[in-house]
Amino acid sequence: MQYRKFLAPLAFALGLTAAGAASAQTLTMGVRGGPESMDPHFSALGSHAEAAKHIFDTLVWSGTDLQIEPGLATSWSPVDEDTWEFKLREGVKFHDGSDFDAEDVKFSIERIPVVTGPTTTAIYVRRVTSVDIIDPYTLHINTDGQAATLPNDFIRLFIVSSDAAADYSTPETAAEGFNSGAATTGTGPYKYVSWEPNGDLVLERNDDYWRGLGAWEKVIRKEIPNDSSRLAALKAGQVDVINYVSSVDYLALERDPAIDAVKGDSVYVMNLQLDQREDTPLVRAIDGSDLDENPFRDLKVRQAIDYAIDRETMVDIVLEGLGKPANQMMPPGFFGSSEKIPMPEYDPAKAKELLADAGYADGFEVDLYCTSDRLPGDAAICQGLGQMLTQVGIKTNVNAISKTVYFPAQARLEYSMFMNGWGTLTGEASYTLGGLAHSNDPDVKLGAFNRIEYKNEEVDALLQSGATMMDEVQRRAAYEKAMELVMADKAYISLVQLQTVWGTKAGTLKFDPRFDEDTLAFFITPAS
Amino acid sequence: MLGFIIQRLIQAVGVMAVMSVIVFFGVYAIGNPIDIVIPPDATQEIRAEAIRRLGLDRPLYEQYFTFLTNLLQGDLGRSFVYNMPVLELIGGRLPATLELVLISVISATVLGVSLGIYAGYRPDSWVSKTIMAVSVLGFSVPSFWVGLILILFFAVHLGWLPAGGRGDTVEIWGVAWSFPTLNGLSHIVLPAVNLALFKLAMMIRLARAGTREIMLTDTIKFARAAGLSEGTILRRHLLKLISIPIITVFGLELGSTLAFAVVTETIFSWPGVGKLIIDSIGLLDRPVMVAYLILVAFLFVTINFVIDLVFALIDPRVRHGASA
Repeated sequence: MQYRKFLAPLAFALGLTAAGAASAQTLTMGVRGGPESMDPHFSALGSHAEAAKHIFDTLVWSGTDLQIEPGLATSWSPVDEDTWEFKLREGVKFHDGSDFDAEDVKFSIERIPVVTGPTTTAIYVRRVTSVDIIDPYTLHINTDGQAATLPNDFIRLFIVSSDAAADYSTPETAAEGFNSGAATTGTGPYKYVSWEPNGDLVLERNDDYWRGLGAWEKVIRKEIPNDSSRLAALKAGQVDVINYVSSVDYLALERDPAIDAVKGDSVYVMNLQLDQREDTPLVRAIDGSDLDENPFRDLKVRQAIDYAIDRETMVDIVLEGLGKPANQMMPPGFFGSSEKIPMPEYDPAKAKELLADAGYADGFEVDLYCTSDRLPGDAAICQGLGQMLTQVGIKTNVNAISKTVYFPAQARLEYSMFMNGWGTLTGEASYTLGGLAHSNDPDVKLGAFNRIEYKNEEVDALLQSGATMMDEVQRRAAYEKAMELVMADKAYISLVQLQTVWGTKAGTLKFDPRFDEDTLAFFITPAS
Repeated sequence: MLGFIIQRLIQAVGVMAVMSVIVFFGVYAIGNPIDIVIPPDATQEIRAEAIRRLGLDRPLYEQYFTFLTNLLQGDLGRSFVYNMPVLELIGGRLPATLELVLISVISATVLGVSLGIYAGYRPDSWVSKTIMAVSVLGFSVPSFWVGLILILFFAVHLGWLPAGGRGDTVEIWGVAWSFPTLNGLSHIVLPAVNLALFKLAMMIRLARAGTREIMLTDTIKFARAAGLSEGTILRRHLLKLISIPIITVFGLELGSTLAFAVVTETIFSWPGVGKLIIDSIGLLDRPVMVAYLILVAFLFVTINFVIDLVFALIDPRVRHGASA
């Protein structure tokens, strides 16, 4: 991790010098998914934000390791309990030559809740109640109570031009205005040329970009959703770089001298989730009869499940080495990840012993549900999990199904034991623990994704107070403590942290893999 | 004739109505699309708001009724995912699918019928045996695998043709077509071959079977006895007599390929409607699914109708039967 922090500015400097030599060049990127619209405020989808980052800047920038850095805002600080002051960068120009100022920020913040689509971007401004312009480069943002993580919320707050987008800010007109290019005016490194839904996004360089001049005069972002086709396009020389090389192809690429594989850590951690309700639907005795109670409510059973899982094998065999064993819901080093949590041991004998202690010497039967098409390796991990649990006596029926069916059913609380990935895209714990580990309580707006009715009073208290602590050291301690408690309860059992692979033609390109898996043309430079 | 057309139209409306109900209720049964697309840091309140905005909080019959009302005004609704009118979304992609499918189905038919007639006319020559052997391959090898092999061989290994995507386009009557440009054509070749292979095999088999049967009939014997040249017999008599099943299959294949060229479009990243519908199913984008399947039903009804008209033109028995 350290060397990457050191390399980032270096690569950046090299990019600037290389830009002169490598002018008149085109970068063609083959990517798995794309934007759903040219309106950056329409969707919170990762690939949508990734595409938008080429044309628009965010108020706060999230770096390679998700550390927050100045973006269009140069600094920020709380003024009182429910107000943050943001200072804006001066001298930044939009693609049409007009000046960027506080009016554009206010306009963008107020526009989001109006034009957002179903993958709602309202989350970025959910804490904002109003915006006051103090002077053209100073803003006061008022929040509903203390909002300690407001700068983190703003890493995907894209700033559009209040002039260009003025007429395109209702749900009916937004897509039309932005997809036609009329309103697609940002301050970002590239200017919009053309876009086709699910097709190519064509961009040309913004020569006045405040970060400096990009290495590529023209950028084409091609959507190629099929993994094999994307790799074939790279091998055929149709594209210069691709994202999400599959683990099977990764093994082959390691031996292919024509292609460089760039491996990076991912924010995604696979979590096994155990229903904590008194009645749970998909668990029964081995002979098919009903059990007296939900076995997952017994800590010994949950510990037994943890002991039954061989994480090393998961990584080496199931994921072909593209991952790391995980002991908590976030990658190490994130704000709120605790170093005190031990890596769980694999001990099937101990697992059987604990099951017998809990009164399940004969084991029991459970239906396990997982996604099969969302993240690399999800179905394979699911099958591995099924075998490992069956070996200690928990007869596990594996159902790896499409996310289209999985998530709605999960939201209806139809599962007893299920697994899917969770990506901590903001790099800090309030995002992950706030959604999963707090009890589901709309009054405090926490626990919306807690689908196992997990509740630990101490965790709830820590998360509620953590969200309002302005002091970073105290807040970090609160989240670390909460993480330790949640992982000790083992209702959520973290299995593996995924890794992602990019492919480039050997020796042609240089870039640092980003934790959030974004592929950003501005930060990709020619190798020479 | 008018009665026939009216009867067909009523059928068409019925099919489309049933289709819309099945899709509407089927998608509802799978679940709430919001749960697939909602970002993980959304609060309960934001989730409820997103559901309300799409009208998914209202009872299903009410949603369906709103849909019908809009449909009668010519509005098929807006995509949940792209926030664009569905017709615009489908219309923007139709030309890509149309040119790919027409090129592949027409060339498969012309080539397949020619080869099939030859194979039926000279069943014992080694050329015919080779044709039939190749046609077995066309039937039995799965098309996604053929697609990948085509890419691997012609794009990656030889580097002659692009691995996927659509090439340069030119505007004709305001629609972007890629077949008039050389670059566009080079992009069409591989997916068109991939799509055509199965149809080619089928056309060969149909034409061969028809030819073998017809060659033994009295029509041909009398034509030969009358001293007509073999070329004239093949053109004037044989081709006409074997064309009824071939036209039926041509029409149905054209329809099903237009509607469901999904596999080829996915492998070759062809920006057509097949890819759109697969993505929409993955995200439960109901307006697109419903509109698309209604259009497909409409397409099939139209094709069947045209086929019936063509029969009447070719086959005097049908023509006279209909007018009598």
